[in-house]
Amino acid sequence: MKAISLYVDKDTFVHKLEPVTKFWYALASVVLSFIFPSIWMGLLILSTSIFLSLVARVLKNMVGFVSAVLVVSITMLVIQGMFYKENVTLVFTIGGLKFYKEGLLHAILLIIRVVNMITAFGLLILTTRPSDMVTNLVQKGMSPKLGYILSSVLQIIPQMLSTASTIIDAQCSRGLETEGNFSEKLRAVFALLGPLVLSSLVEARERAVALEMRGFGVSNKPTFVREIPETKVDKTLKFLMKTILIFAISWRVFSWIMW
Amino acid sequence: MAKSSKLTTMIIVLIPVAVGINYAGKFFAEALKLPLWLDSIGTVLAAMLAGPIVGGISGAINNIIYGLTVGPVSFIYALTSVGIGIVAGLLYKAKMFENAFRALISGLIIAVVATVISVPINVIFWEGQTGNVWGDALFAFLRSKNIGIWLASFFDELVVDLVDKVFTVFIAYGIFRALPKSLIYNFRQEQ
Repeated sequence: MKAISLYVDKDTFVHKLEPVTKFWYALASVVLSFIFPSIWMGLLILSTSIFLSLVARVLKNMVGFVSAVLVVSITMLVIQGMFYKENVTLVFTIGGLKFYKEGLLHAILLIIRVVNMITAFGLLILTTRPSDMVTNLVQKGMSPKLGYILSSVLQIIPQMLSTASTIIDAQCSRGLETEGNFSEKLRAVFALLGPLVLSSLVEARERAVALEMRGFGVSNKPTFVREIPETKVDKTLKFLMKTILIFAISWRVFSWIMW
Repeated sequence: MAKSSKLTTMIIVLIPVAVGINYAGKFFAEALKLPLWLDSIGTVLAAMLAGPIVGGISGAINNIIYGLTVGPVSFIYALTSVGIGIVAGLLYKAKMFENAFRALISGLIIAVVATVISVPINVIFWEGQTGNVWGDALFAFLRSKNIGIWLASFFDELVVDLVDKVFTVFIAYGIFRALPKSLIYNFRQEQ
């Protein structure tokens, strides 16, 4: 069965951190790169994230994430370089298209900001097993029912996708037209999605009965099979992140009031 | 089942299925080489089955899971998915899925709502672009004609979303019509 998690199983310092700690790091990186709109601040955060991905040995996967926004980054450079409203200083001209310094710098700032967000959250995603993340969040007070929904989605998707392939094969062997013009293809969507929706809703109804039988609806506080440990390093890092966030936000609010 | 809008077990098992249908819709669209995403059919179906709140939750969880399994960019569009779920649920309550014509109008409304929510996100993160080649080409054209960033971004997003959302809603409507009534009543929250 196709695994859908992006988790990279390694045994490093970053992997051993509590998931919530990594979440705070991601949040702090995103908030900081938004409230300090400078390329240097962005590069500082970016190099921290890259350093951490090196430590966690997931840099290769990270490059995959970042390349997903490559096209939009290039078009951003083109569009901002040409049409940014504060464009004054001409840098170069390609075949009559004028590119300006202000727009290009602005685009670079935007790109760094987006890449920061991707790498910071990417670090969390790549180094944390999804089930651990859910368990950790429930331990921190998230509703266990929401926890169940999240972890069951991760199990259901591969199942449903494999059912989906079976349905494609079954319908094709009955002569379903999957090639052809747009309306034929659209008709095929109904023939494929219909059976899948029906069967998975019926399964869901059975699952609900099975869950109720095992006391799922009971409102007692559940205990955990596996506790995620919170080390001293986690506590220190979380404290650090929260302090940085509070200082940064209050500095920003303060400077707004002053000017 | 309880009368309050608390999460019943039936709803709890419905939401993962809704997210799975979203994934399957995208999978089928790719398998058939359709020029659409069709990745919110499950959210719309959940909203029709169990109301706007469940639709909204399904949308949010869809994007969280998508962010965890495909790439983190999807987190920031969770709000759009929530909007699609809530509006689809409200439209269903307003009997806007009674016949094919109304479903079409609902699709248009949902497309506009999705666009209105996405535009501020696009402006904040991408200075108005969507990352779709056709939409961004229009965006660049409108910007070169000195049209404001918000309006240009609105049209950029709308050309990308309109066709996709209308077909998404229409397919959800068609499948919902074919579901047996006995199954549908299982997921109703209020009796």
